[in-house]
Parts: sequence; structure tokens; C-alpha cells
Amino acid sequence: MSDDDVKEFGDVRLERVREHVWEMPREGEMRVPARVLASEQLLEQIRQDKTLEQLRNATHLPGMTKYAICMPDGHQGYGFPVGGVGATDTEDGCISPGSVGYDINCGVRMMKTNLTYDDVQGKEEELVNALFANVPSGLGGGGIVEGDAETVEQVLARGMDWALEHGHAVEDDLAHCEDEGFRPDADPDAVSQKAKDRGKNQLGSLGSGNHFLEVQRVTDVYRDEVAAEFGLSEDQVVVLIHCGSRGLGHQVCSDYLRRIEKEHGDMLAALPDKELAAAPAGSHLAEEYYGAMCAAINFAWVNRQLIMHRTRKVFERVFGRDWEEMEMDLLYDVAHNIAKKEVHTVEGEERELYVHRKGATRAFPAGRPELPPAYRDVGQPIIIPGSMGAGSYVLRGGENSMDLTFGSTAHGAGRTMSRTKAKQEYWGETVQKELQDQQKIYVKAQSGATVAEEAPGVYKDVDEVVRVSDELGIGDKVVRTFPVCNIKG
Amino acid sequence: MSFELRDHTADVAVAASAPTRSELFAAVGDGLAAAGCEEIPETGGDRFDVDVRAEGVEALLFDYLDHLIYERDVRAVLPVDNEVTVEERPDGWRLSGSARGVPLADVDAREIKAVTYSEMRVEETADGWEAYVVLDV
Repeated sequence: MSDDDVKEFGDVRLERVREHVWEMPREGEMRVPARVLASEQLLEQIRQDKTLEQLRNATHLPGMTKYAICMPDGHQGYGFPVGGVGATDTEDGCISPGSVGYDINCGVRMMKTNLTYDDVQGKEEELVNALFANVPSGLGGGGIVEGDAETVEQVLARGMDWALEHGHAVEDDLAHCEDEGFRPDADPDAVSQKAKDRGKNQLGSLGSGNHFLEVQRVTDVYRDEVAAEFGLSEDQVVVLIHCGSRGLGHQVCSDYLRRIEKEHGDMLAALPDKELAAAPAGSHLAEEYYGAMCAAINFAWVNRQLIMHRTRKVFERVFGRDWEEMEMDLLYDVAHNIAKKEVHTVEGEERELYVHRKGATRAFPAGRPELPPAYRDVGQPIIIPGSMGAGSYVLRGGENSMDLTFGSTAHGAGRTMSRTKAKQEYWGETVQKELQDQQKIYVKAQSGATVAEEAPGVYKDVDEVVRVSDELGIGDKVVRTFPVCNIKG
Repeated sequence: MSFELRDHTADVAVAASAPTRSELFAAVGDGLAAAGCEEIPETGGDRFDVDVRAEGVEALLFDYLDHLIYERDVRAVLPVDNEVTVEERPDGWRLSGSARGVPLADVDAREIKAVTYSEMRVEETADGWEAYVVLDV
């Protein structure tokens, strides 16, 4: 092994396994090795904060299988790093709410249109204003649906099927959503009243932080045949929606972290970070958390569905045509903060695992039975949002993902600059003006500070993240998109 | 009592210090408000009571901040000017106090999703008390 094949960052040692694959060997209390999937450029950014330390901590989780893995967009989070994937055994391992994150089923969906950039040019301002006025965002802005207690129960139990019954979706939307927008293991009774209270006024809302709705145009097509299967072509206008389960999901995570602390303090005491809190597989609490998390997943799918359906209505008004005529169809909806029971082949044996993806996207290749019929022969679409001044990508599940990453890839560009520093470096109104004047990107936000915190310069290079994913064969580049209008909280 | 917002790659941290434990908790509560809002009005909004119990001092801080976030969402107010008393009792820890709830419609505020245990510290020092909390944004 040459000097170039070993990196030492403080007490963390990484050995190059092959191009873009770095291994942290098992030592001390680590149950398995850890792996970082990154180019030299991305690794240089990843090593700057506590990402690697948090990744090593994650290997301590009981039942961790093969490796704890950091995706190319990884960065420091709390407990598990963001961009982390960890699979634990469902029989003798654990499930870790902290390794899913607070925003359960934070995720992304992309809606196609048959409009081209020419159709939108000249209407950007009207469109961004109409979207901003009609899609609730920020704090205290309410939701698209005035939820009562019964509504929240139904949404938690039924997911997108509730939206279909109430006229907020069409059958085709369900057919193009991960798990058809419904987790059958959902248990609304396992969701606390506090969580339900927080959720009922937020059903159909973006929230704030890095969540947004963006109208985009397809600028590059890399795999013609796959793009054709996905119904994507150059110059086409699409809409990307990024948000999660709002206060309801956040409360579910907080509630179960505290219950684990009280009921399974022995397991917690053996972990190097309290935020990795985990319930032993097979315990009553593990089952309860899984049921509550699945219910929050359903809630998030309905949340994004309501926003998407409202967006269709906004387009109808701005462009004076029915949404069906504009072929505003869902491409796909994927979660990137989630844990799911999945069957994977480990050392030749099929095992059921809790696959935790915290800031990582499922990336199943063609042939997996979990995929909807529309994508079973081509591989699932993966949506990778970039910053509001850079491109986003649509990938498809890569052939190597099942072997390398439990069927996962990156989830975005990944931050490099803190929010406090971003507000010192950038002024929201200046960022907005520059994006409009220099790149014809129209941004409207509830808070100027949010624009500063989410300025393009605070993120990693999404092109490099996607290049690594593509070269590893875990998520293959299909198209690149570029922002036209962006609204955020 | 005072607090500072500290750098964190994706989120934000509050570092607070105060002569007493009660003032420390109030300072962290004020830090939570500041993490989501740069300009907090000096007046306006009604005060509401806060009462939290937990088995340990860090758990109490976690539950207190979690409760403020809950109140923010259900009352649609930003809890500011926190005043609290923290007591250790034979059956655990108790926090009682109040906050002024500024209507969210009156401020330019962003969402703090949750309090985390990551790197959390509540410690007595030679000068009083210090705390460090990472908030999920």
C-alpha cells in the first residue's frame, strides 16, 4: 500500500480500497469497519468537521452489518453523519431513531411537464409569486389542508391513499411514489398526541431550512434511453419539491429518543454518542418506533403530494391550461431520511436488515421487486437536489449499489459552510438579486436569512458528488436540471 | 447570563453561561429563539407557563427545549424572554417558569426542527454554569 493509499486525519485512518472507496479499519469497540465513498476533493471537505468521527461512532450500533457508510455528500450531523447508511440486523441488532434523523421521510419528488423553457420565459416572476402565495412555507404559515384529529389519523394510517380519496391525487401519483406512498407497518397509535398536535396545522407545507420548491429546466441528458423511459428530455420544465414530515416527524424522533433513554439505558450507555440512541431489535419499543416512523413516513408523502397537487393548480392559472394537458405527472418520490426493513444478500445469505438512510437515497437497480412496474426494467429514479444556484440531477439506481451501499446513493450536494458563517458571508437580498440578474433564477423566500443560509456557496459541488456516484455505479447520471424559480421558507 | 450561537456544518449550536442553573436554562431558551430569528421584538405577545419534569439535568434541558418547540408550533408563537426555576427534587428534576410568546406573524422566523443530545453539556464551572446544545435546523 503506497502513501497515497493511506490518509490519517487525527486518530482516523483511511485506507484506499479502490477509486473513490476508502475504508476505516475496525479497531477498538467498532463492530464493523466504516467506508467513505468520495473523491480526493470531496474527502478533503468531509474531513474538515466531525463526519468521520460520527461515522466511526455509528459502527458501534448493535447488529451493524458489513460497514457503516458515508456517501459522497456526507457531512457532520448529530449522532449518525448526514449522508450515512447503516444496516442493522432485524433479529439481533437494533433500530436507531437518531440514525434516521428528526425529519422522518424528508425527501424529494419531481413532477414532469410538457412545457419547455421557452413557455416559461417571461412568466418567471408571475410564476414564482403565484407559487409563493399558494404553497405555505416558513413558520406558522399553516398547511394546504386544515387538518383535524381524524384527518391526521387517516393520513398517518393510509398515506397517499388518503390524498387520492380526498381529491388531492390521481392513481398515477401513487404508482410513481416509493412504496406507492404507503407504509403498511404504520401505527398511528404509536405516534404521540404532541406529535399529532404539531402536525395538524402543517399538512401541506414546505417548512424552512433547506426545504424548497423549484421550477427547473432540463439542461443535459446523459443517458438517452433511460431519460426516454423516465419521460425526460432537454429543455423540458420540471418541478422539484423537497420537504419532510414537519413537526409531526420531528416530535416522533424526539419522543422515541427519550423513551429509549428511559427504557434501554444499558444499550445507550454502551454507545459513544447519546444521539445514536437505539432500541434492541425485537423489543416492544423497537416495534413501536418502527410503527410510528412508518406513520410519519406516510404523513410526509401526503405533505409532498398536497404541495405537488397545489402546484398543478398554480400552473393552470399561470399558463391558462389544465394540468393534465400540461402532462404534470409525478416522475418519482424518494425518501432520504428513513429506516426500512429490507432483504439484502450478505456473504451469500439473504438477511432482513433495518437499512438506515440518513441523508441518503435508496438507489435500487432494475429488477428489484420493490420498484413500481414503470421502473422495474430500468431502475428507480433518484433525485439529487443541488443548491438554488446550481444544477440538480436525476439518476437511476446503479447495478453496484446493492453490493456497495445496501442500495443507496447520495441525497444532495451536502453543506460545507455553517449557517452562522453563511449569514456573515452573504446577504439574502444580494444573493437573490445576483441569482436573478446573472442566472435568471427567480427566488422568493419568507426570510432573507434563509436565502443567505442556503446561498449556493455554502454547498459542495453537486457535479462532483454525482460524478462519484456515477463512477461507482451506485447511481447513474441520467439528466441534469437548472433552476428557473425557487420558493423557500 | 448570556448565550452565543456557534458554528455547526448543517445545524446550529447554542453555548450559554450564567451564574445559576436556572438562569442558564433560560439563556439556552433565549438562544433557541435567537437561532431562528435575528430581530426579536422587545414587546408584544402574552406570557405562558412552562412546567417540565425529567430524570436528569441534561434530560431536563432536552425536554425543556423540546417543549418550547412544541409550544411554538401549536400556539404559533416564538417563545422569548424565558424565565425559569430549576430544582432538583428527591423524585427528579423540575423546571417551572414562563415565556413570552411573540406571534409568528409578527417576526421573520425560521424553523428549528428539534433539540439534539449530540455534544450536549450542562456543567458547573468556577464562575457558575455552562451549557452547549446542538439544534437541528
